[in-house]
Amino acid sequence: MTQTTDLRDALLVRRIAVGDEDAFAVVYRQKHPAIYRFALHMTGNASVAEDVTQEVFMALIRDPRRFDPARGTLGGFLFGVARNHLRKRWEQDRRLVAMDGDPDDLHEGESANGHLGVSGSGTNGSGNGHHGVLAHAPGWDEFATAETVGRVRQAVSTLPENYREVVVLCELEEMSYEEAASALDCPVGTVRSRLHRARAMLVEKLREPRPLRRASAVGEGTVR
Amino acid sequence: MNCAQFESIVHEIERPGTEGFALRESALEHAESCGRCARLMIEAESLDSGLRALMAAAAEQKAPPRVEAKLMAELRRQRGAVLQRRVRRQIVALSTAAVALLAAGLSLHYWKGKGGTANHPASPSVNNPAQANGAVAPASPNIIEIDDSESASSFQPLPYADDPSALEDGAVVRVEMPRAALASFGLPVAAMESDGTVRADLIVSADGTPQAIRLVSQNGTSSE
Repeated sequence: MTQTTDLRDALLVRRIAVGDEDAFAVVYRQKHPAIYRFALHMTGNASVAEDVTQEVFMALIRDPRRFDPARGTLGGFLFGVARNHLRKRWEQDRRLVAMDGDPDDLHEGESANGHLGVSGSGTNGSGNGHHGVLAHAPGWDEFATAETVGRVRQAVSTLPENYREVVVLCELEEMSYEEAASALDCPVGTVRSRLHRARAMLVEKLREPRPLRRASAVGEGTVR
Repeated sequence: MNCAQFESIVHEIERPGTEGFALRESALEHAESCGRCARLMIEAESLDSGLRALMAAAAEQKAPPRVEAKLMAELRRQRGAVLQRRVRRQIVALSTAAVALLAAGLSLHYWKGKGGTANHPASPSVNNPAQANGAVAPASPNIIEIDDSESASSFQPLPYADDPSALEDGAVVRVEMPRAALASFGLPVAAMESDGTVRADLIVSADGTPQAIRLVSQNGTSSE
């Protein structure tokens, strides 16, 4: 984030403090999608993501002086508030991320190749698995992409919170280590090491073969 | 580069600004000669691809418009409350200033009055409330001089006036007020005459409460 943007954000927050609706609209429209996505990736629940987004900006309206430009960017501040709200919610209800058992028919078109079950990179196998065939069939590209997204989303959602948040910020919101460190209120080195560990965990999770839910009913637990 | 070094940076090779990105060339060279590290690199690239797909799938996600509407309503409510508080503070400040001013004026007037009595003990124009109206007799009345060009009615006790014999101190204050304000002192105001201002003398007790009023008019004009 540039210094100009920081100054502009600080000015906008000062305007919000005196009730300037236009300033609030600018800040909200620019910043809220990232906050909403962060909460959505962290919880896997659109309704909770909506509530958290609302609470984050409500906090900005009610006490804008909590944002101190000297301590970090507005984006980092908002992510920090979102994170606090999420933690409070988790304390209240530990069952928010309960996606493991969600039925998802898209998952049944699982790749059987030996590499990660992720398509689109051109590196996912020799082309002998049915994924390669599906990827070239008309109409199946979307299927393959959706399947990939579903697998990665599920893998991310099952990471421990500390690891999940660095993946969401650094990978899905494309923050630098410094920005993520500011949002998470931790050293840059911690972000780096957590991200490294989180990615290794994701690789492990995606390497595992996916269970076929309907097949499991007749005793075939996984695709071989 | 050896395998341990490669493993420590494999997830950063495609991330600009990181140590892994800086060592990208030597990492690729190592991967060409090491099958295990080549596989790690392919898995990392595959993960990148999956995360990009997830990011793209979530790119358009944002909170529903009702959230912004609720926040805007809160901002307006907040601004209204702030304005109300500010007006209340201004009223208190103005009232305090008015009381202070009145007190200062009365003190000055009282002080000048005492001096005036000493300097003009036999002044025929001294208008002692006790003389003007037997019903109202402050113990230490102040002096308002009636010019030759003026005439005054007698003091009329105000509806909520204290017992004149109980007044220990007080002052006579010359004021100019809207004619319509006479009604608030319990004096009759004809509808046709409610415009304009009138000059009046008020006997004010030591606590600042008006006790009696008389109207002053320029000779040749009617004051009531």
